[in-house]
Amino acid sequence: MTECECNPSFSRARMSELLFETYGVPSIAFGIDDVFSYKYNQKLGNCGEDGLAISCEHGTCHVVPFLKGEPVLGACCRTNVGGFHITDFLRQLLSLKYPYHSASITWEKAEELKKEHCYVALDYMSELQIFKNNKEEAEEKTRYWQLPWVPPPVEEPPSEEELARKAALKEKAGQRLRDMAAAKRSQKIAELEKQLSYLEELMEQLDGAEEEEATAILGRSGYLSQQEIKSAILKATQSLRKAKGESNGNEEKADASGVDKYPLVSVPDETLTPEQLKEKKKQILLKTTTEGRMRAKQRRAEEEALREKQEEERRLENPELYLEELRARYSELSDRVDQRKRQKLNGGKTNGNHNSSGGVGRGERLNAAQKERMRLLTSAAFDRGKGEDTFGTRDEDWLVYKKMSKDNNDDDDGNDDDESELARIASKIQDMDPTFVNKAEAVQQTPEPPKVRTLTAEDYRISIGIERFRCPEILFQPGMIGIDQAGIDEMVSISLRRLMEDEAVKERLCQSILVTGGCSLIPGMIPRLESGIRQFRPYLSTLKLVRAADPLIDAWRGAAAFAASSKFGRHTFSLADYREHGENLFHRYNIVYSL
Amino acid sequence: MESEVVKTEMVLAATFPFKKVQIADKYPKGQSRGRQWKHLRLLLQAADATSLPPDRPNYLNIQSPPSIYPPKRYCDITGFEAPYVDPRTKLRYADPEVFKQIRMLPDEYVQRYLALRNAAVVLR
Repeated sequence: MTECECNPSFSRARMSELLFETYGVPSIAFGIDDVFSYKYNQKLGNCGEDGLAISCEHGTCHVVPFLKGEPVLGACCRTNVGGFHITDFLRQLLSLKYPYHSASITWEKAEELKKEHCYVALDYMSELQIFKNNKEEAEEKTRYWQLPWVPPPVEEPPSEEELARKAALKEKAGQRLRDMAAAKRSQKIAELEKQLSYLEELMEQLDGAEEEEATAILGRSGYLSQQEIKSAILKATQSLRKAKGESNGNEEKADASGVDKYPLVSVPDETLTPEQLKEKKKQILLKTTTEGRMRAKQRRAEEEALREKQEEERRLENPELYLEELRARYSELSDRVDQRKRQKLNGGKTNGNHNSSGGVGRGERLNAAQKERMRLLTSAAFDRGKGEDTFGTRDEDWLVYKKMSKDNNDDDDGNDDDESELARIASKIQDMDPTFVNKAEAVQQTPEPPKVRTLTAEDYRISIGIERFRCPEILFQPGMIGIDQAGIDEMVSISLRRLMEDEAVKERLCQSILVTGGCSLIPGMIPRLESGIRQFRPYLSTLKLVRAADPLIDAWRGAAAFAASSKFGRHTFSLADYREHGENLFHRYNIVYSL
Repeated sequence: MESEVVKTEMVLAATFPFKKVQIADKYPKGQSRGRQWKHLRLLLQAADATSLPPDRPNYLNIQSPPSIYPPKRYCDITGFEAPYVDPRTKLRYADPEVFKQIRMLPDEYVQRYLALRNAAVVLR
């Protein structure tokens, strides 16, 4: 059974217990894997009797000196960094670098990447400089791992046929809708006509009938008076006309009906009852106001026309200047409108759906109205505590509520004026300059540029550049992952120092250094180790490093050779021995490796 | 791999002919194994108690000491040499661009970066 250097007796005892009791093995020998590997390579002639074994394993690194073919355990040295740490470091770095792909960066994949792409830099600092300053060389050294990525389906433009089919469908649907609308309209017209004829009939009846008969007819029909029937007829004719699509001539009708609307105005006062007098007053008021409105409208139209004319003249006089002026005014107005909109949106409470900045946080700015509102609310809240409550004794107090209410869109009118003016100017500029783009329209045409970029193969590509040599570097600088121990090159000098032999012996050991263990397969390991160890050796001293014949299974081969030898029986112990001595058996247990 | 393994019942086999004690007999289903982990120091003390020379190599004292070189500082994000440390996150960084990146990092990632070099704040 192979074990690590200085395996505690407890571990040996548990292992042998398991082997004896569960697997029923007849006898066991424990031996160190690095030593077996060294012995095997010694047999192959890769290293001598005296030498050093540098072994970079899965969880640890060891340096074991050999004297006369036997390991000197008192001088060996261990650092708790190994291949496991390299893989883990690589995995963590990559998953931190690509948080979106951390699911696909598995332990197995990291192991695979390590075996395939990692290398040891001969000089770590200069390699870093290359990656920092020399982009081309860095690019050359960077490897990419393309994750499985399926391009999103590209929408093909519909064929001619399909377009035609769609158009036909649309046309058909439209036709059906139109038919339905026409049917509905004709139905409505028929209904209205029927109603109208009935009402007219009713009127005729009423005209021809006596007083009592008339009230009976009225009672039957559900109308209160003749007047009401008349208005109903008027309404029916109007809606009929509308339904028939006779929209033209509306104005004249309105004018004509204007006289009819106020029948009492032209009637002298003496002939009227008090109620009618009141009615008359109301009608006069209404009439004057409508007339005033009409007049104002007319005046405005005249003004407009005048201004139009003036502008037209100026345009003809000097088109360039005119255009400039228009542009200036346009930009000014649009700025103003924009600013208003922003003010209104600011804080986002009045119309939150247009608000791009999200809800009102504590640090968010409030607009002036909102600030005032907050002030009122807080003052109201604090006044409560002042004992005597005088609120409501004065009428002005109640105005506070009005002020507090949210919807104070006082500035809307001015805003509307500006906007209409803006639209007018924009259309004018467009008339003169076809290239002009109206801002409002432009915004409407492209509502929102798509913020989400479609993912490309690039996004599914994991680049491994600096990580290629950064991860194995932890063997030489365990401090990089927070392990405060010497790196493998320094371990050699520590081991030699612990050996307490004179310089000649150390010199001899350094001429037969075997590098074994899985991590020694990382490219660049041997040159880097050599340069690292050379720093600790005297000037011009010789150094020879050899990689084991097969770093992965040489330990097993060595152990197999040991077990096959005739001396093997001397180093084993059986179940009987274990029963007799127990754990104490292992305290002094050390095999002799030399065959 | 699976089909062959399943066919030979390597995975599903409950009993192995080469084992004297089957795992199902030793640890019946549903019973806790009652395993207790002992600390390495305890194991070594138990071994030392049996009057062994104190300078005898054991698992702990063959560990290598800290490096004699001053530890180099590397950027936690890019891996380049890092002359600066962010006082807030304690992350090391190489240049201002990395610093910007650091300040954008969520706290979880900062802690993971720190954990990489065993410097994360562990709340106990």
